[in-house]
Amino acid sequence: MKKFLITALFFAIAVAAFAQAAPDVAENAVETAAAVVNNSFFSGRYVAHLSLGIAAFGCGMGQGKAVAAACEGIARNPQAAGSIRTTMIIGLALIEALVIYSLVAAFAIG
Amino acid sequence: MEHHASYLAKLLTDLLRLPRYIWGDGAFAHGQALSVLERYDHLFAALLAALLTVLLVYMLRNRMSKVPGPFQQIMETAVSFVRNLVGENIEHHPEKYVPLVGTLGFFILLNNLFGLAPLPSATGNWNVTLGCALVVFCYYNWHGMKEHGFFKYWGHFLGPVWWLAPLMFPIEMIGLLSRILSHSLRLFGNIAGEHVVAAIFFGMMPFLLPVPMMFLGIFFGLIQTFVFIMLATIYISGAVSHEH
Repeated sequence: MKKFLITALFFAIAVAAFAQAAPDVAENAVETAAAVVNNSFFSGRYVAHLSLGIAAFGCGMGQGKAVAAACEGIARNPQAAGSIRTTMIIGLALIEALVIYSLVAAFAIG
Repeated sequence: MEHHASYLAKLLTDLLRLPRYIWGDGAFAHGQALSVLERYDHLFAALLAALLTVLLVYMLRNRMSKVPGPFQQIMETAVSFVRNLVGENIEHHPEKYVPLVGTLGFFILLNNLFGLAPLPSATGNWNVTLGCALVVFCYYNWHGMKEHGFFKYWGHFLGPVWWLAPLMFPIEMIGLLSRILSHSLRLFGNIAGEHVVAAIFFGMMPFLLPVPMMFLGIFFGLIQTFVFIMLATIYISGAVSHEH
């Protein structure tokens, strides 16, 4: 049910975005669609910045879990602190890379 | 993408009265007129960092002493840090790979820290980090081929069983090639993003407000250097290690 609602919401947003184009569709559908995509809220710039927010959200969750696990590991076995820290930093870098892709896309578009 | 010329490049252009041109039909930097120094400031920064690295180490080599001064202590700590890093991750002959990893480390660290002073920062430009990543890519493939032989090295990418090879090889190739992209974009994105944030803070209030951000910049610069050379070491180790 939840999934269906979310899907329906996305469709509603998509329809709303294209509904503005409705009166002119008969004249020149392709140009109008391009104009809507370029001028509406769903144009590249906003979407790039929005995607950065979404990516940062996921990255925050993932990095939080990774650091929590590393802290727990160090607390349980302080002798292993060095290797756990190194592994954690590499893991954090790999998680962070996904946000960085989004950031680079935002640089390139916006 | 916007191009922010560094303060030093602007100052030198004004002092030396270099001519300013519009680059690339006005598509570059919103048609702003830039001098050669401003347009290619990342290259000059890279040259400066490389020269500085060589010069400092060369100067130090001539006056090594049993009672180290502060500079020698810093450099010894850095070199032994790189040695430990490479030694822990590569099993056979790790000392062979220390020069490249250490040089990359010094070069990238200097460039990351250049960005905090009003100097041009080369690692905030994708061209430079892509160059570093390509060097690492060629280096570990070359050493992998030297260690295992051409056919055995590329045979690793065919997967465990022969009938999976048509599926495994393209996937492994994509994985191998995307390493260049992720390796270079990680460094570039971090440093460029940090510069943009510092610039925005500077625009809000050019006094005291950017200081915490610049302090974070020192920290991020060190961490990103570490991550870059660590990943380079792991890639090299993955290419040259023997499976038992």
